[in-house]
Amino acid sequence: MELLAEATNVVPLAKGIALGFGVLGPAIAIGLIGSSFMNAVSRNPESAKFLGQILVFVSLAELFGLIAFASIFIIK
Amino acid sequence: MFTKFFAAEDGPHIAIAPEKIFEINGFAITNSMIYGWVCGILIIAAFAYLAKRISYKGSKGPAQLIDYGTEFIINVLTTALNSRSKAIKYAPLFVTTFFFIIANNWLGLLPGVGLAINHDGTALFRPFTADFNGTLSIALVMIVIVQTLAIRESGALKHLRHYFQGSLKNPMTLALGALELFSEFTRLISLALRLFLNVVIGEILISVFAYLAGPGAPLGALPFTLMEIFVGLLQAYIFVMLCASYLGVATAHNHHDEDYATEPDKPTEARV
Repeated sequence: MELLAEATNVVPLAKGIALGFGVLGPAIAIGLIGSSFMNAVSRNPESAKFLGQILVFVSLAELFGLIAFASIFIIK
Repeated sequence: MFTKFFAAEDGPHIAIAPEKIFEINGFAITNSMIYGWVCGILIIAAFAYLAKRISYKGSKGPAQLIDYGTEFIINVLTTALNSRSKAIKYAPLFVTTFFFIIANNWLGLLPGVGLAINHDGTALFRPFTADFNGTLSIALVMIVIVQTLAIRESGALKHLRHYFQGSLKNPMTLALGALELFSEFTRLISLALRLFLNVVIGEILISVFAYLAGPGAPLGALPFTLMEIFVGLLQAYIFVMLCASYLGVATAHNHHDEDYATEPDKPTEARV
């Protein structure tokens, strides 16, 4: 196992996996938020005024992606 | 030729934490603190200058921005607190926080901030909001003030009862109340982390893409700088909006028990 670790540098791999899976969830979440917002607007155009609230929820979901992004700098 | 541009060893300079510049009696002064002071002085000077130029008959020039931002935050507070007089009462704190965060986010995007002006290889200036201590202190101040205002509004015991809703003999109420109390700390951490990570990751993205673009660094960094201007505005708005909604939740009167009857009637405001 040590030989393998020496032969291949696994750090970029670890960073890639951490970032890839880390931003997967927030990406799906933001897509769902956006799609349900568009659904709501197409059903009732009055609800377009809730864009501010939508951005809040986007930022709530985004936080976890940002945590994943920040944690890849800890991997040495 | 390409190894010069795409060399993996010497990547862009990335610092998640602020760096120490000098010490005063063992108290480390970091680059974020220095820029925070600079920004604070600039903000105070700008506001002292602009405050005299705001008038009822429509402000002119840059005072319009202050006017518009204040009105915007009062509208946010009105929707969160369900009353305009309360919103105007609490506006100074939230408007100050909004402008402080937005000014720190935007002044952090100026070209001199970063390694361009350095002191023995460490950047002399770093945005105050790109420091977890900075955002944590802003969030701590806001959460403590929100709690204080809530206690002043409804009394300490009633405010504590706000967390433990329902019969106190029910063990479920105690468990849920403890969870609600704990959620104050998660709010604090999430407020601080959101602002900090958005700003610091914007800085990292700008530096990474400026590095990848090689000779065309300004062109590579431009879209991310523009995105960061938007993100800086959005994060300031979200910070204030979340704090306002926390205040709205904390000062909301209980609708299910006896103090509903003693509440003054406000027939024009519909309860949602």
